[in-house]
Order: sequence, then structure tokens, then C-alpha cells
Amino acid sequence: MIWVSWRQHRSQAIACLGMLGILAIFAIVVSSSMRTAFSHDALAGCLAHNPATGACQGAVGAFMNSFNTVVNIGFWALSLALPGLIGVVIGAPLIARELEYGTWQLAWAQTVPRTRWLVTKLAVVTGGLVILGAAMTALITWYRQPMDRLTGHFINNVYDFEGLALTAYILLAFGLAVLAGLLIRRSIPAMVAALVAWLAVRLAVEYLLRPRFQAPLTLRQTCAHGCSLDVGITSVPPETGHIGDWVLRAANPGNQIVGTYQPAGRFWNFQFIEAGLIVTITAAALAATIWLLRRRAA
Amino acid sequence: MTRDAAAVAAVQTTRLGRRYGQVWGLRDCTLEVPAGAIAGLVGPNGAGKTTLLQMIIGLLKPTEGQASVFGQTSRAHTAATLARVSFVAQDHPLYRDFSVADMLHLGRVMNPSWDQGLALARMNALGIPPKRKVKSLSGGQQAQVSLTMALAKRAPLLVLDEPVSSLDPIARLEFMRDVMAATADTGLTVLIASHVVSELERLCDWLIVLTAGHVQLAGPVDDLLAAHRLLTVPRATQDAELPGHCIHRSDSDRHSTALVRADPARMAALDHPGWQADPVGFEQLVLAYLQRPPAAAAQDDPAQAAARPGPTTKAVTR
Amino acid sequence: MFRFHVDGSSGVPPYLQLVHQVRQSLLLGYLQEGDRLPTVKDVASDLVINPNTVVKAYRQLEHEGLAGGRPGQGTFITGSLSPDPPEAHRALRASLERWLRDADAAGLSDEAVSALIAVARHDMKKEKV
Repeated sequence: MIWVSWRQHRSQAIACLGMLGILAIFAIVVSSSMRTAFSHDALAGCLAHNPATGACQGAVGAFMNSFNTVVNIGFWALSLALPGLIGVVIGAPLIARELEYGTWQLAWAQTVPRTRWLVTKLAVVTGGLVILGAAMTALITWYRQPMDRLTGHFINNVYDFEGLALTAYILLAFGLAVLAGLLIRRSIPAMVAALVAWLAVRLAVEYLLRPRFQAPLTLRQTCAHGCSLDVGITSVPPETGHIGDWVLRAANPGNQIVGTYQPAGRFWNFQFIEAGLIVTITAAALAATIWLLRRRAA
Repeated sequence: MTRDAAAVAAVQTTRLGRRYGQVWGLRDCTLEVPAGAIAGLVGPNGAGKTTLLQMIIGLLKPTEGQASVFGQTSRAHTAATLARVSFVAQDHPLYRDFSVADMLHLGRVMNPSWDQGLALARMNALGIPPKRKVKSLSGGQQAQVSLTMALAKRAPLLVLDEPVSSLDPIARLEFMRDVMAATADTGLTVLIASHVVSELERLCDWLIVLTAGHVQLAGPVDDLLAAHRLLTVPRATQDAELPGHCIHRSDSDRHSTALVRADPARMAALDHPGWQADPVGFEQLVLAYLQRPPAAAAQDDPAQAAARPGPTTKAVTR
Repeated sequence: MFRFHVDGSSGVPPYLQLVHQVRQSLLLGYLQEGDRLPTVKDVASDLVINPNTVVKAYRQLEHEGLAGGRPGQGTFITGSLSPDPPEAHRALRASLERWLRDADAAGLSDEAVSALIAVARHDMKKEKV
């Protein structure tokens, strides 16, 4: 049954490997120029010796201008779509295709009860997706390494690609799509429905829940010379005293800066909380699928 | 042909029914197929044949009633119940991206009782190369692959849902030839659904007629043929005067021809002067029941019981 | 190997067709005592018919004393059907020719003669039952 699961998803696995390959080529090409620029502009030295002054700002600004567009905007678009697409394209046909093409009459009439058929398939494909997610995360983390030293990884579209988030969201899309496939019985409509549901969860978690995983810290500071606090990520110079803090609210009354922020050190906490939440929803979707399939059989 | 009263029937259903929304696709279906028989399930398209077969196998959940195969209820859906039946669905679905060898491998890993030697020998004999992808095979070859998979599973019951309707005459013949050879070899029980009546006569010794979701007729072919007569009677004769149920009647100016299921108690009445009683042919019998309105079936359950084997019949041997 | 054939449209049950073919072949000398009939499987796959039909036919032949099964070896022809002795034949033939001349004189066409024969045989069968 493991062989059958593998064989049925073989071409999808090859496509994913291909995609990883393209990603790797892109990453290597852009990353090498990024790293060159980083060392060329002595940004490392700049950060090490002058972390809190604006002396490096010019160099950092130039660096960010060259690479920010490519890295950030492209990534934002991708992070919103790619994990979802991967998950639904692989998940929706898992059951729906069998129903569409009538092969369920072949698959479920062999000497393997359909519950075992489904559980084995889900285990094999989930395993594959975890490996894919881990590989993509590792690749992207490596690729972004120079930039991350300037921005940390709390910035939202980076957060979604590093740590556990990417893998978790791929699994979520997969789980929702498998369930949709069983309920809707057609691959393409199931993909669309699952993608919409996935997007809803994704956006709700990112904008409503993520800022609140832990109580944010408050900052109130009087500046001697002009300073301003902006919502977003603290970079160079870091108003909160730290690069990579996520500023949720900011105000600049007079010569003070006031705001709330999540410190950069909480990155992994947040990743675990979010991944735990997402994986729980995924598990619920898959459990519901198995339960429904069982109920229709017996 | 004889049947052992103590032997477990290959297929048994009790008041089996299935509803799709508001419509009953199959209702009140009670029948039996003894082990070793080759049973034909006949009915027009949409009569409920596929629904019935899927419930017998356990692929579909009945709305009411129950079905069992060799004494085990089809709803249990355990490996044990699945191992008793091989199924070739309508349009013989296969995984189109798989090669023939892949399909056989699937059969082998999913069925402990798989006979790989038989599968390969058949593919060889049919000239189907194992490396070829299923999608590049002809319709007849695909049907043969499906049938090979079902035969190689070596289950004691083979269920075929209109297995030959998409095949050309040669492919049809070859297909059924292999089924007959397998039945002769292993005492396999076969249940074939078809809407092509003419081909079933030479193949079946058990018959089930289904129209609009109801069983019209079920039983051993020999007994059913023996229980019916084609009567030629004067036009004025009323249905009630006929010694049994009138299944189908056609009236001419001065005479009528009535296909009658003779009431066993009134068989002597068949020798009525002025009447002619002739035996009924298989195709004639089936067509008469196919044309009967479904409501009529509900009215004559007691008569249907007469067509089923009683405790006095003996074992099937080949 | 002796090969059978079955005519689906003849109205005669398949097993009876097989029995008739054996009888016919015995009469014509195509089958002789000691000949082995094909196995049930061979006939069933050759003709694409239910193996039980063949079993039934072979049982009928056994019942008529024309064939018998030897365990492990198959079914063999054990009897023979000799045509009626020539004497009886000649007498019947003569009376038949007389009758046909009478029928012709009475103005009966060929078809009317055949119909008359069929009706008479049918009525005689009914009397027997």
C-alpha cells in the first residue's frame, strides 16, 4: 500500500523536486550577489562596530534598495499563494480524482479496507510534504541570511517562510483540500474551495492572532535628538535597541517615542504557537476525512 | 445441476434498498445466488443493476436491508469480506498513468491471494506488453487487464458490471471465453450484469431480472423456464381464466398469445381443449419480464417464491 | 478433438443441441465407441457457454447409455446408435411413398404436407403425455 501511494503521487513528487530545483537556482544566483554586496559594503563590520548609530544607515539603505524589491515583494506574493497551491494541488485529487474517474471502484474493492487505504496514503504524502517544506525552508533561510541580519525574521513575509510556518501552511492546505475533495467529489472545485478556506485561515491568523500570541512589550522613550518609531520591523538604527523587533503600534508625540512591540527573541515561540495551531486544524480536517469515509463504507 | 442445501449461498440479499435523495434507485430486493452458479442480472439502463452490485460487494452502503457474500455481511468492510469478491466495474476503470506491470503490482500488494503467475500468463497469452501504459491500450485490452486483475485475485465470487458493453464482438467473445474457462477450472461463482439478453442464454444458469429498481424474476434458469408456458388461447379468454400469472399478453383478432407463469397447483389446466401450450425460450422469458410494469412485481411475491430453489435441490458440482 | 457448435437462435436449449450432435455423429459414424469427448473446460471455452450446460449434456448422454466418464481420464463414448435395420426402413419408405402419392392426388402442396405432418406429431405427443 505504501508502494501504491508512492506510485500514485510519483509525478507530483517529481514536479515538486523540479520546483525545488528552480528555487535553488534562483536562490543561489541572487544570494551570491547579495552576499557579495554585503561584504563589499562592509555591512558586517558596520553592524558589529556601530550597531546603534546612524552611521551605517546610508550603506544599509543602499543595500536594501538593491535587494528589497526582489526579495520582499516577490516573496509576499509567493508566500500568500505558493504553500496553499502546493497543498491543494496535491490534496484535492487524492480522493476526488478516484471519485471522478471511477477508480474508487477499483481501489476500494481490493483486499485493503478503505480506511487503511486512506490512512496509508495520507501518511506517505504528509511525510513527503514535511520533507518538501523543510527543504524549502532551509533553502530560503540560507538564501536570506545576509538580509536577515539587517531585518531579523519577524517581518511578516519572512516569518512565513522561515521556521515552521511554511511547512505548517502547506500541510494546512493539504488537509483542507483532502476533506474538500471528499465532500465536493471533483478535483478542481475542491482545490478552489480549499484554497479559499486556507486563505481565510492564513489571513485571520496572520493579522488577528499572530500579534497577540504573547503580550507585547511597551516602549516609552525620550529622545535627545530626532528619532521616530514606525510600525514594522526595527532595522538600522533600531529604535527599540534591537534589530528585528516587530513594532505593532507606534506614536511620536513631541520628542518621545511610544509603542508596543514583540521582541525578536520571541520568533521561535511564535513559530511554535502558530505551527501548533495550524497543525491542529490540519489534523482535525484529516481526522474528519477519515471518519467520513469510514461512515460511508460501513 | 444440483445445489447443496447446506452450502452457504455465494450472494444473499434481504430487502435491500438504496435511496438517492428522494428517489429509490433500488427497493425491496431479496435474492440469492448459490455457490458455483453463473448468474445473469438483466435490466435496462438505469434499472439499478450497478447499485445492486455495489451494495453486494460492499462499495455502497444500503439505505435499508442487507447483503452478504458467503455468509458474511457486505457492510463489515473488513479485509476478510473484501477478499471473497473480485469486481470489474462498468467501463473497467484503471489508473491511466500506470503501466500494465504497475497495475499488476498494485494487485499483488493489495491482495494477499494474488496469483502473479496467472496474471502474467494471461497478459502474455493476450499479447499485452507489461511496459505499456494503460492509456495507450485499446478499450478491449483495457477490459482484459481489468478482468485479469479480477481473476488473479482468486476470489470465489466474480462480479462483472456490463463487462463487455464497450467491446467489439471479438473482444467480447475472448473476454467471456476466459471467464468460462476460469469457471470450469475453479468452480467460481459469477454474477454478470448486462443489458444484452441474447448473450446471456449460453452463459447463465441463474437469472435475475431487474426493472426500475425492483426484482421481477429471480431463480435458476431451468426451473424458471419449466414454470412458464406460452399459451395460445381464444381472444375472449380472460386473464383470470389462465392457470397462473399472465406476464405478457398480445392480442390478435381471434386469438391471444399469453406468456404465463404457471401456478403449480393448476398445471393440469394447461391441457385445456382449444388451447395450445408451448415452452418458453430464454430470451422470450426475459423480454416479457422486462416489459412488465414494476408495480406488477410487488403484487406477486408468493409466486416468485415458487421459482426459488426449495430444500429438495442438491449440490452444485462440476 | 470432437468439436461442438451451438446455435443461439434455434430455440433448442444448448445442452440438448450438444446431445443431438453426439447422437448425429454416432449415426453418421463420425464418433465411434471408445472415442474421448472433449473436457467440460474445453467445450465451455471453445463455445463460450456455461460449463454446467456441458455437464448436463454429458449426464444426459450417460443416462442414455451413449457415454460414460472415467475418473481422471475424461468422458468416452460407450454406446452406439445403429440406424434402424434396413428391412424396417424399406417397409416404412414404401408406405411413405404411397401416402405421398395419395396426398399429391388430393391436391396438397408441399407446405400443406409439412404442416399436416407437424400437427399430427404435435397431437400425438400430447396424447402420450
